[in-house]
Amino acid sequence: MRAKAAITVHRARDEVRRLWESSEYQPDYIEKADAGVTFRDAPGDRGTEIHVDLERDTSAVRKLFAAPRLAKVKDELRRFKQLVETGEIARSDSTPEGERAQRKLKQRPAQPLQASEREKAGV
Amino acid sequence: MRATVWSGRNTVQVENVPDPTILNDRDAIVKITSTAICGSDLHLYDGYIPTMKKGDILGHEFMGEIVDVGRAVSTLQVGDRVVVPFPIACGNCWACRHELYAACENSNPNAGLAEKIFGHPAAGIFGYSHLTGGYAGGQAEYARVPFADVGPIKIEDDLTDEQVLFLSDIFPTGYMGAEFCEIGGGEVIAVFGAGPVGQFAIASAVMLGAERVIAIDHVAYRLEMARNRAGATDTINLEADADVVEQLKELTGGRGPDAVIDAVGMEGEYGHGALKAAERLKQATRSETDRGPALRDAILACRPGGIVSVIGVYGGLMDKFPTGALMNKGLSIKAGQCHVQRYMKPLLDHIRAGNIDPTFVVTHRLGLDEAANGYETFKHKEDECVKVVLRP
Repeated sequence: MRAKAAITVHRARDEVRRLWESSEYQPDYIEKADAGVTFRDAPGDRGTEIHVDLERDTSAVRKLFAAPRLAKVKDELRRFKQLVETGEIARSDSTPEGERAQRKLKQRPAQPLQASEREKAGV
Repeated sequence: MRATVWSGRNTVQVENVPDPTILNDRDAIVKITSTAICGSDLHLYDGYIPTMKKGDILGHEFMGEIVDVGRAVSTLQVGDRVVVPFPIACGNCWACRHELYAACENSNPNAGLAEKIFGHPAAGIFGYSHLTGGYAGGQAEYARVPFADVGPIKIEDDLTDEQVLFLSDIFPTGYMGAEFCEIGGGEVIAVFGAGPVGQFAIASAVMLGAERVIAIDHVAYRLEMARNRAGATDTINLEADADVVEQLKELTGGRGPDAVIDAVGMEGEYGHGALKAAERLKQATRSETDRGPALRDAILACRPGGIVSVIGVYGGLMDKFPTGALMNKGLSIKAGQCHVQRYMKPLLDHIRAGNIDPTFVVTHRLGLDEAANGYETFKHKEDECVKVVLRP
């Protein structure tokens, strides 16, 4: 089971690293997961690649839960990219909290939320 | 508000649902004045696009008046009249910066779902399954428009709704299909499918300078529209003329068209007996998502070194793909959901200049509450239906 994920953010490496470490943008889960995080310049004008490696932690129990952990890591990478590039988290009617692995199988219908649902989703 | 809701295969109904609200600072809310049913909505209606859910609001072609804007939207004001492009695009990512709006990297909050099926997520789309984000659509009284500072185009003159509504999808989609063909003058372009997108592909190919445009369909009244309104020079009726590849060769002195546009997509309705029957069975049992007679014939008919332009919608996998013809004839394939934001301004200028009047495709005008009838009439091509416009 591969336990690596990567995303490219359309910003210079210094800025990406600075935002990654800032309290406003820092991806909590990845930081707590004892993952290896590296930043590399992407080719041409493409910005910065962020590589996350969960394989650094080789305990058997951790390995067993690699898939759900990886899904959470991917969610956080996407949310970080969205925040940095667009200033907000993409929200739809089916997925009002923004991308979340838990939502994949429990989608709301694509119709506007009731006030109580908006409150629950924090929007 | 009232909205057109999908509730299973071949079932839509207009229901009361909550009004949309601003969820993000770059959102706007549009009060819809005109909206349309798209041929690609029929793929949802027929149940061939995965990840639909009961209660989903349909519709990705709409326009109206801005009634609310988020704090970060400075380009639009309450009262502005706008047409909304169907792909939702952030304007900030690498793809958007390169005008590849339908490939926006940030607008699909179900990216993980899309990635599983397509390898990568593509842009969010209004009312078009959960694979493209699970956004409520615009066959409704109101819609929430994310990244409203990037997508909607303001209409500030007295053009009617019907003249500009199709900037939301089918006019740019048809135009991009023709642009893919690299028309420089003197070409023969064949267009499979004389539905609304096909009509605009034909009209655009003519505008771009193609010498001959051949419309192909199995519905006679649509071929008539292609010839009389869109500007096709030739037509092939699939009912009457059995072997379309041979017909196309005959019409082109044996060469084959320089480029062929597939404006049909995954539910092509014709084909050779055994293959057609096998594909219908496979699609019905979900062992193949995409039927592909038009795309196959496009590849077989195109001249060596030519271009196959795919703007008809496909959703998954197709069998019996003619790789041999594709490779040995050295064809190029270009495909995609339209990067609508790229084309809205130049095509609006064409409409203003009188180079095209997009209203020629409209055959049915209904109230929003008649949406279910609209779907049935459009699907079964009753009453010479080409395009249904709904007014909330």
